[in-house]
Order: sequence, then C-alpha cells, then structure tokens
Amino acid sequence: MRQLAQLLKAGEISSQELVQRCLEQISKTDGEINAFITVDEQGALEQAAQSDERRAKGQTLSPWDGIPVAIKDNISTLGLRTTCGSRFLRNYRPVYDATVVERLQGAGLPILGKTNLDEFAMGSSTEYSAFGVTKNPYDTSRVAGGSSGGSAAAVAAGQAPWALGTDTGGSIRQPASFCGVVGLKPTYGRVSRYGVVALAPSLDQVGPMARTVEDAAILFSLIAGADPRDATSTGSPPFALPRWDPEVVRGLRVGVPEEFFSSGLHAEVEGAVRRALRRLEEQGAVLQPISLAGNEYAIDTYLTLVTAEASSCLARFDGVRYGERVPAADSNTMFAKSRGAGFGPEVKRRIMLGTYVLSASHYEAYYEQAQRVRTLIKLEVARAFEQVDVLITPTTPSTAFRIGEKRNPLEMYLSDLYTATANLSGVCALSLPCGWDSQGLPIGLQIMGNHFQEELVFQVARVVEASVERGAKGAV
Amino acid sequence: MIEREDVLRMARLARLELSEEEIELYLRDLNNFLASGRKLQRVDVSGIEGTSHAVAVNQVLRSDVVGESLPREAVLEAGPDVVDGYFKVPRIVEGQE
Repeated sequence: MRQLAQLLKAGEISSQELVQRCLEQISKTDGEINAFITVDEQGALEQAAQSDERRAKGQTLSPWDGIPVAIKDNISTLGLRTTCGSRFLRNYRPVYDATVVERLQGAGLPILGKTNLDEFAMGSSTEYSAFGVTKNPYDTSRVAGGSSGGSAAAVAAGQAPWALGTDTGGSIRQPASFCGVVGLKPTYGRVSRYGVVALAPSLDQVGPMARTVEDAAILFSLIAGADPRDATSTGSPPFALPRWDPEVVRGLRVGVPEEFFSSGLHAEVEGAVRRALRRLEEQGAVLQPISLAGNEYAIDTYLTLVTAEASSCLARFDGVRYGERVPAADSNTMFAKSRGAGFGPEVKRRIMLGTYVLSASHYEAYYEQAQRVRTLIKLEVARAFEQVDVLITPTTPSTAFRIGEKRNPLEMYLSDLYTATANLSGVCALSLPCGWDSQGLPIGLQIMGNHFQEELVFQVARVVEASVERGAKGAV
Repeated sequence: MIEREDVLRMARLARLELSEEEIELYLRDLNNFLASGRKLQRVDVSGIEGTSHAVAVNQVLRSDVVGESLPREAVLEAGPDVVDGYFKVPRIVEGQE
C-alpha cells in the first residue's frame, strides 16, 4: 500500500486508474468467484475523480487518499444497497453510513462495492448467502470461508487492495486463513459498531482484511478509536501505525495452548504452524506451553450466546420499516409470513435455537449457564496473558473445505473451534498465511493478544510474515 | 427431549412461519443442539457471575444535547407501506376496521 500511495503521490497513477483496474479485475473474475453482491462502478469512479481532484489541489485527506476498498455487505453504506446476504433486505438502501464507512471516506478511500457473506453473517462458508456461494480464488471447487468470504476472496483475487469484514466467532480470521490473506479481529470495543447490522452485539467487531500485515495495520488505523454513537467503544484509544521493529520478538513470551493442537487438527496445518513457531524461537522468542482447557466449551458457549443474541437482534426485521413484506390480514400473520419468506434456513435455525434458550423455562439452564462459562473462559485467557505476551495457534483445523462438504450444521460450527475464544474473551486476534498445504491451499496462523494489544500483535505478525516463504501457487 | 409442540411454540414466539419440512428439520436440530447445551451444564460455575460484555463498560453518559436526526422522508422511503408520513401495518387488534 505504501507503494501505491507513493505512485499516487508521484502522479504516476491516478485514483481513477486504480479503481478502473479493480473494476476490470472484478468483471474478469467475479463471474466465477462471486465475491461481490453489489459493485458500485459509477460511485467508485466518481469518488476516485474527486480524490484525483483533491490531489491535484494538494488537499489529500490522508496518504491513502484514492486507494479503493471493498465493504462487507452487513455494514451500512448511505444510499448503496446493503443486503446482509438476505432476501429480506435485497432492495434495502441505508439512510446513513456506518461510522467505519464515514471514517474510510474521511480518509479518501473510494468504495468499490459490497461483498458477499453468509446471511446476516451466520455461517463459515458463505454457502448460506441468498446471493450464491463465494468461491475460493485458490481453488474454485472450495469455499472462501465465512462469513466474510466475499471480502477475503476479493482481496485474494486482486479485485480490491483491501476490505472490511466483521467477526463474531471467526468470520474475519477463518476466511482470511482459507484465502491466504491477513485479517484482524480487533479488541472488543476498539472499533465502532454503529451502522453495522448486529449478529451478536456482545461479540461482533469490524476489522481489516488485506494482503500484507502492514496493509491490515494501515486500514485498522483508519477505523479504530472511540465513537460516541457506540457506547461500547467509548474507552477505546485510536491506533497509529507503529515503527516496525523485528527485535520485538527477542525475549517475547509466546504461549502455545496445547488444546489448539489436539485431535481434529490436520497434520499439514499443524506442521506449518509449528515451523513458524520454530522460526520465531530461532529469532529469540520464548515458547511456553500453556493450557486453555476452557476452549473445550468455547463452541458450545458461543453457539448458545450467539443464537440468543441473534434471535433478539433479528426481531427488528418485521416487514414494517424496511425490507420485504408479505401481505396478510393482520399484523402477527404479516410478521410471520414476511420473516418466513425473507430468512434463509440457517437464520431460521438460529432464531429457533435462540428463542428456545431465551424462553422463560430454559433461560437459566442454557443462556445464563453459557454466560457463566463465558466468564470462566475469559478468566482463563486473562490468566494466560499474565504469563505470556501473545498466544499462537492455528486459525482453523483444516484448509478450505469443498463447497457442499459440510452438510451438518454442528460440523460447520466447528470451523470456529480456534477462533471463538477471542470473541468470548474480547481479546484481539489476527490471522495471517504461514504456509501452503500439498494442494496449494493457504494455511492460517492465529496470533492472539491481550485487550488493546493490537500493536504487539501486528509487530509479531510482521516478523512471522517475513519468515514465511511465498506459496508456489498464486490465487486465480 | 423437544417435541413438535415446542417447535411450534418457538416459531410462534419468534413470529416465524415454517413449512412442514422446516418443522421437522428444526425439531431435529433443536434436539441435536440440546446435547451441546447439556455439555455446558456439566461445568461447575458456582459462585461465577455471567459475562454479558467482553470488556467491562461502566455507565456511559453523554451530555444531553439535541443532535441531528435522520431525515424523516428518507427513513420513510425504506418502508414497504407508507401513508401520510406513517408506516402502515395491517390490523393489530380484533374488531371493526
């Protein structure tokens, strides 16, 4: 991105040319990949023209002014269709911008369009999108991951230099891992959720996805920091791009939680992550085995809480103020018919589960119990960070699976096995490619840092990145 | 064990119209899910308080200043049925139209 910024600054390329190149790549590859739900060709070119004009007058808004970005389609964009991957919102145009969108536009970034996702971000493969599955640019018979599969694939396929995703249980990191890009789930509260369509408000975060660690850090610096319109962000500091220092790993205490290397983990994934750990050790890091036994309960806890919160959040989709309405003689029937027709199978499944765990006779046994187990997981993670500076694990148990391979919902939920703990405990976590398996598919490594330790996580990621040899096989 | 009646009750509470196939599907899924929920019930949480937010947030206050609201016309434009500046819905209470 520094290179692009320099080319723009030197006048060797214009923002309009950059946007044009992205649009060409999209029209060339997206028929197959399906990363975008909406491409805003005209809007992006207009914004690029404005950027070029600003630059000509010496009034650029940031060093990144004119570099286009793609936005996940559950993040509100004023006047630009925002579907959440749902039939229910297939024609919905928000009347305001999310804070993160405002901030990117404030830095001069033209918006290329809106990327595909599992409906309302519920899923791990984008197979649950009402707009078709997003295919993995490394192997189009495989999924791009999810729910931010569109953003990950767009970046991997060279359709966009960078993109925003959202992460509730792994929805940035898992697709980043599957598509060989870098993705950060920030500390809970570090980025404003205003204007982001909620899946589970106690877990959701917006984060950057990009091709390199530095690019992800730059994009993060543009969106991080307190926003008065999101009360959970009000204590959050902004983020400034650090001075990169490879010496940061000397003496760094790296926790290796044994539970994340247990059965179910593919051998090639384990091999790549262990090799990366050894290279860190060679550079002076101190590896420390550590136990996060609570991870055994992470998925069950996550599932209970996310379905409960989702069933409550989705109550707003009633066919009254926005979205599709199915006419009926009375309101209750109209609500039920509109929701029955507008929502897809996974959304209905989670609404049903969530309604069950929140119903009066089961609330204590399921929902409250899960909240208390969450506390145990959180305390365990806090204790871990008293002993180590970062935790390193695989991002996912396997590389990208085949489209249609996971038919059982419980099996699908297991792809968040290593990522959900960061959401439950609110810490930050980043995934970056650390190698490729024998089929040429990217393998992701996850670095978890304590609350608000994004700078350290980026520093460590940058060292890992430098030590990984690039894959033989590129995307598309 | 969850029965068909429970599924129908949940669907009613959630205002969700389900097809016969979906009722069967979610009957099975809810029962599968219960196994997962029961796993959590084996964890000893005595004396542990529940977490509702990952990072503790205390009362967040702001000064009571009138801000700008979204433009009424634009908001109404998104509604499926709008009359005289209001969202129109079908009958809510029984009785005469």
